[in-house]
Amino acid sequence: MKTAAEILLVDDSQADIDLLGEVLSMNKHPFHANSVEDGTKALCYLRRQGNYARALRPDLIVLDLNLPRLDGRQVLQQLKCDPDLSKIPVVVFTTSAANSDIVRCYELGANCYLTKPGNLWDFIAVVQSMANFWLGFASLPQKEER
Amino acid sequence: MSVNEQAEKALVFGAFGAGVVSEQSQSQSINGAAIAGDSETPKSKLRALLIEDDPSDVELALRSLVCGGFAPTCEVVQTAEEFTACLRQNNYDVVLADFRLPRWNGMEAVEILRHENLDIPLIIVSGALGELMAVDCIKQGAADYVLKDHLARLPECVRRALREKQLRDEARHAQQELVRSNRDLEQFAYVASHDLQEPLRMIATYTQLLAERYQGKLDATADKFIHYAVDGALRMQALVQDLLAFSRVGRYGIDCRPTDCNQIVQAAAANLQAAILENDARIHWDPLPVVPADSAQLTQLFQNLIGNAIKFHGPQPPLIQITAEKKRREWLFEVNDNGIGIAPEHFEDVFAIFKRLHTRDEYPGSGIGLAICKKIVEQHGGRIWVKSQPGRGSSFKFLLPASRPESTEVRA
Repeated sequence: MKTAAEILLVDDSQADIDLLGEVLSMNKHPFHANSVEDGTKALCYLRRQGNYARALRPDLIVLDLNLPRLDGRQVLQQLKCDPDLSKIPVVVFTTSAANSDIVRCYELGANCYLTKPGNLWDFIAVVQSMANFWLGFASLPQKEER
Repeated sequence: MSVNEQAEKALVFGAFGAGVVSEQSQSQSINGAAIAGDSETPKSKLRALLIEDDPSDVELALRSLVCGGFAPTCEVVQTAEEFTACLRQNNYDVVLADFRLPRWNGMEAVEILRHENLDIPLIIVSGALGELMAVDCIKQGAADYVLKDHLARLPECVRRALREKQLRDEARHAQQELVRSNRDLEQFAYVASHDLQEPLRMIATYTQLLAERYQGKLDATADKFIHYAVDGALRMQALVQDLLAFSRVGRYGIDCRPTDCNQIVQAAAANLQAAILENDARIHWDPLPVVPADSAQLTQLFQNLIGNAIKFHGPQPPLIQITAEKKRREWLFEVNDNGIGIAPEHFEDVFAIFKRLHTRDEYPGSGIGLAICKKIVEQHGGRIWVKSQPGRGSSFKFLLPASRPESTEVRA
């Protein structure tokens, strides 16, 4: 039996984080989510720096692109260059549908790129698919004993 | 040197006619006021550049201008080099050019003005000039010509040339202003539609979430209000997306290459396959030409026109006929259908952005399709219009240049 997956949501819009939380809760796969609202905090969280010394290592990162301070592309780049963090799958979840963003993100090592749909039903469909795949079907790296 | 001395020197100019280059500037400065003395009526200032080798002709021209109400100041030059140097140094209202100089043809000055990108009217002032030669000068770009025997005409010619130049300046200014304001407007439409998407998405999803969670748990009025809010948000989303699609047309320039319209129509029809099957539509097209065009834009143009012909079909299954005919330097395309048609009073405004002739219940859509068609055709240097009779089908016609325009505007 799987334990609840640990998810880190990186998004500067509280409304989006709440919506994601609502929709993820409809999914049958157990999860626990934390959120941070900018790129700098995301890296501190993942590296357990400052206030995040006791943060849990996430199994999945859901990353918005347009963030204050360090933006999503920079976070992605630093993550994938870090041998410790590079193994965590990153789902880019953003309003941008620009091909340049999609290409750049995959180049930087994103594991999946999803565009935020404009209406609730599509939003639910996309987030449910993401949860079913990443929390259900996909095998994720097991937590290393520390 | 005083103005009078200068004028005297220039008018006497022993060195001038003899072809000896005068000192320093290689051109002579003359103040016309010195010739006629001060007049009582206020004269309009005129800075002239004279191409002339005969000092007495210079004096006659200046006298004529003074008599005609001008206070001219001028430089006199005899060679292309002097002419170019003067143009680069000073601003002139008019160039008066003798047609035949020993060392230079005055008409070459027109070429130099063009090369220097200067719009200064040039008037040929010359001795016997044949009619054919005179017409030829005008064709090459001279504003006018005045025979030396009829110098009294000169002031009026200058005045008319200045008026025309002013009109050209105003037209050019208005044109630049139009281009600028269009660009601003497009930028505004793009930014507005782009940045509106994010907050709109919030409104749409959260009102939908409200409806989903609280439908039937409040009262009937609340349900209705929520429904209106959701509907409004979704509609606005569609509008914003269409506006964005409209402002994206050609935003990154158009990629004009020889494009086979047969393939384009085939691609457009393939994109519309679902609608074609659903409505049992038939599309016929004559052999179509290859035109210089942006293939993605041209596909969208045909797709929008064919799509409309299917959407606004009449009682019969839609039948769409596409033809092309060469008209001088352009191809005239026609997309004819047997649909519901359009009343004549709407022939113009169907192409306006967000213009709809029907309610949303009758036909879906936001009214952007034909506005995009118009933008595409115009970006290719063409024109689009419609002829139709209500109940008897529509005929959308557009012209596209048969060969590539000399300068294709590509915006970065």
